[in-house]
Amino acid sequence: MHTEHTIETSAERQNRHKAMEAIAVLNSLKEDFKSPIRSMGYFYDLFEKVYCHHQPLHEGKAKIGTMCIQIPSEIIYALDAVPIRLCNGFYTDDEIGGDLLPQKSCPLVKATVGWFASDNFSDKPDITFSPTTCDQKTKAGAIIESFGHTVIDVGFPRTKESEESCHYWRESVKSFAVKLSKFQGKKLTRSNLESAIKKVGYAQSLYHKLTEFRKNKAVPILGVDMFLVTNAFFFDKIDEWISAVEKLVSELEQRANDGVNVAGKASPRIVYTGSPPIFPNYKIPLIIEQSDAIIVADETCSSNRMFNDMVAVDEWNLYDMIDSVSDKYLKACTCPIFTQNDDRIRRIIQLVRSYNGDGVIYQAFAGCQVYEMEQRSVLAAMEREGIPILYIESDYSPSQHGQLTTRVEAFIESLKNRKRMKK
Amino acid sequence: MRYFVGIDIGSTAIKISVTDENKNLVGHKISASGSMFYKYAQEALAELLKELGIDEREVVYTVATGYGRKLFKEADENISEITANAIGAQQAAKSYGNIKTIINIGGQDSKAISLDAEGNVVNFAMNDRCAAGTGKFLDVVAMNLEIGVDELSAYHFKSVGTPLSISSTCAVFAESEIIGLLGNNHSVEDIVSGVHYSIAKRIVKLVKRVGVKENVYFDGGPALNDGLVNAIENELGHKIFVPEYPQITTSYGAAVLACDAFLSESAS
Repeated sequence: MHTEHTIETSAERQNRHKAMEAIAVLNSLKEDFKSPIRSMGYFYDLFEKVYCHHQPLHEGKAKIGTMCIQIPSEIIYALDAVPIRLCNGFYTDDEIGGDLLPQKSCPLVKATVGWFASDNFSDKPDITFSPTTCDQKTKAGAIIESFGHTVIDVGFPRTKESEESCHYWRESVKSFAVKLSKFQGKKLTRSNLESAIKKVGYAQSLYHKLTEFRKNKAVPILGVDMFLVTNAFFFDKIDEWISAVEKLVSELEQRANDGVNVAGKASPRIVYTGSPPIFPNYKIPLIIEQSDAIIVADETCSSNRMFNDMVAVDEWNLYDMIDSVSDKYLKACTCPIFTQNDDRIRRIIQLVRSYNGDGVIYQAFAGCQVYEMEQRSVLAAMEREGIPILYIESDYSPSQHGQLTTRVEAFIESLKNRKRMKK
Repeated sequence: MRYFVGIDIGSTAIKISVTDENKNLVGHKISASGSMFYKYAQEALAELLKELGIDEREVVYTVATGYGRKLFKEADENISEITANAIGAQQAAKSYGNIKTIINIGGQDSKAISLDAEGNVVNFAMNDRCAAGTGKFLDVVAMNLEIGVDELSAYHFKSVGTPLSISSTCAVFAESEIIGLLGNNHSVEDIVSGVHYSIAKRIVKLVKRVGVKENVYFDGGPALNDGLVNAIENELGHKIFVPEYPQITTSYGAAVLACDAFLSESAS
C-alpha cells in the first residue's frame, strides 16, 4: 500500500547523487583489482567521508577556494588558511552547471559552476581566487561571483618565455599575497612562508618517492590509486595527508622488495596525459586499468603537474621566496593554455622514456578547447618519436562507457602485439 | 443494469476493468498475457463477469487497448494505451486533483504523458531502448537477489548505506553487475535502493522530456513498489499520486471511454 514519504530536498538529492557516484568508483578501486594496498584505506575512507557522508574537514579554519592549480598553496598555508581546490569531477554538478553555461563547455568548469550554483559544500570556501588561465575558468569566476560569492581574479599570462610575463605573474602573486593577508588579518613573514614552502616541498618529495616505484618492472601501485592520492591533496588536511603518504611509501617499499605487481605480466605501461581525471571522474583511467594495462606516469594538472616541480629558493628572504614560489607556478607549468608549449611535449617524452612507457593515452574533455587543440602537435611529436598514442575525447556522462572501453581495449591490444613483436 | 468493459492487453498482463453507468469501478481482473493473448483475454473476461454476477448481455460496450488490442475482435472500439491511460488517470484521481503528468511503467516499456487542463494528451515520451528499467527489469533483479518482487520495497526502506548504482539498466548486463556486487558482500538493501534510483533517474529524464507539471500520477505494476515510488519522488523533488490499483488505470480508462461512447451514441 502506498504511504506518505518524506521527500528529499534538492540539496539532499544532490548529496545522494554524488554519494552514489563516489561509492561506485570507490568500490571499483577496492574490489576490481588484485593485491590491494593496506594504506590506501586512509584515502578510500577520506573520500567516502567527504563525498558519501558530506562531513566537513576544516571546521573553524579559513578556507580559500582556488579555481586552478596556479594559486600558490604555500602562501595560503603560510597565512594559516586551507586551500580548497575547486576543480570538480562530479557528473551531478556538471549537469547542474550545464543549465547555466553553453552546452559545449568543459565539464570540469560546468561542474565547478554547478557546485556554486547549488551552494552545497561540506567545506565551503570563504573566498575564492581565480587565476585567469583558460577562457572558461576565467569567465566562470564572474558567474560564480554573480551567485554572491567573493571571487578575486589573479592575472595569469598566456606566454611564459618572456621577461614581461614573468614579471607580470610575480606582481600578480604579490598582490594575491597582500589581499589574502588582509583577508586573514595576518602578516606573511619570512618564517611562516619558509615553513610553508618546506612543508609543501616535503609533500612533493613524498610524491616523488611514490612515483619512483612506478619505474619498476613490477609496479606496486595502480594509476587510479595514485590519482586518488594526489586528488586528496586538493582538500585534505596537509599534515594528515603527509602522514598517510609516509605510510604508503613504506608499504610500497616493502611491496617493491617483495616484487608485488598490481598489473599482469604482459600489461602495457601507459603514460596518461590531457584533461585532469578528478574524482569521481576516473572513467578513462579505470577503463585502462580494467583492460589489463597499467598507468605508470601521468602529465596532468590533478597529479604530476601539481607535484613535479619544487620551489627553488636562492635566498630565504621574504621577497625572494615569493618570487621563487611564483616562478614554480609559471615556468614549470605545462598547461596547454600557453601560446607555445613545447615543454609539455618534452615532459611527455621524458616520462615515456624514464617510466619505460609502451604508449600514451591522451584524454581531452569534450569542450576543453586548449587540450583539444593541442592534440595535433602532441600526436605529431609522438609519431616522430615512434611512441604509440591514443587520443580520446569524452565528458563526465556515464553513457559512452561501452564505446570507450572498446577503443581503449583495442589500443592496449595493439601495444601488447607490438611488445610481442619486439621480443 | 448496463456495464462497460475496458480490456488492456499488455506485454505481461491482461487487465480488465468493469464500470457502471456512473463510471464507478465495479470490478477488475489481472491475469498473465502468456502465449495466447486472445484466448486468455476471452477467458479472463468470462471469469470476471461470472465473479461479478454480470450477464454477458448486460455489457453494452467494450473498448480494447494495449498493444494486443487489435487481437480482441469482439471489442466495439479500440484505442491506444496512451489515450486510455490519460482518461483512466483523470477519472481515478478525481477526488485528488487535476492530473497533468502521468508516469507509467509497464512490463516492458515506460512512458511519460503530459495532459492539458481538460485532460487531453498534449505530449508523450516512451523509452526508446528495450525493457531497460521496466517491470521485467525488476523481476530479473528480484530473481538475482533471490527475493520476491513484492519484497523489494521493504528492502529499499531498510537501506542505510549509499545506494549502489547499477550503471547498466539493460536487464542482461545489470544481472552481471548485481552478481558482482553480491560477490563483494554488499548489502541487498543498498543494491535494491540503488536499482530503484537507477530506474527513477531514467524515468525522471523521460518525464522531463514532456515537462513535469503537478499533479503527477504514477501507474503500472511497478507503482505497487513503494520503494520505487519514493525513489521517483526524490528524483522528481515532489510528491506523486499512486492510485489504489495502479495496474488497471489504462483498462479503467478504456471502460470509462466505453461508457462515454455508449452514452453519446445512444443520445444521437
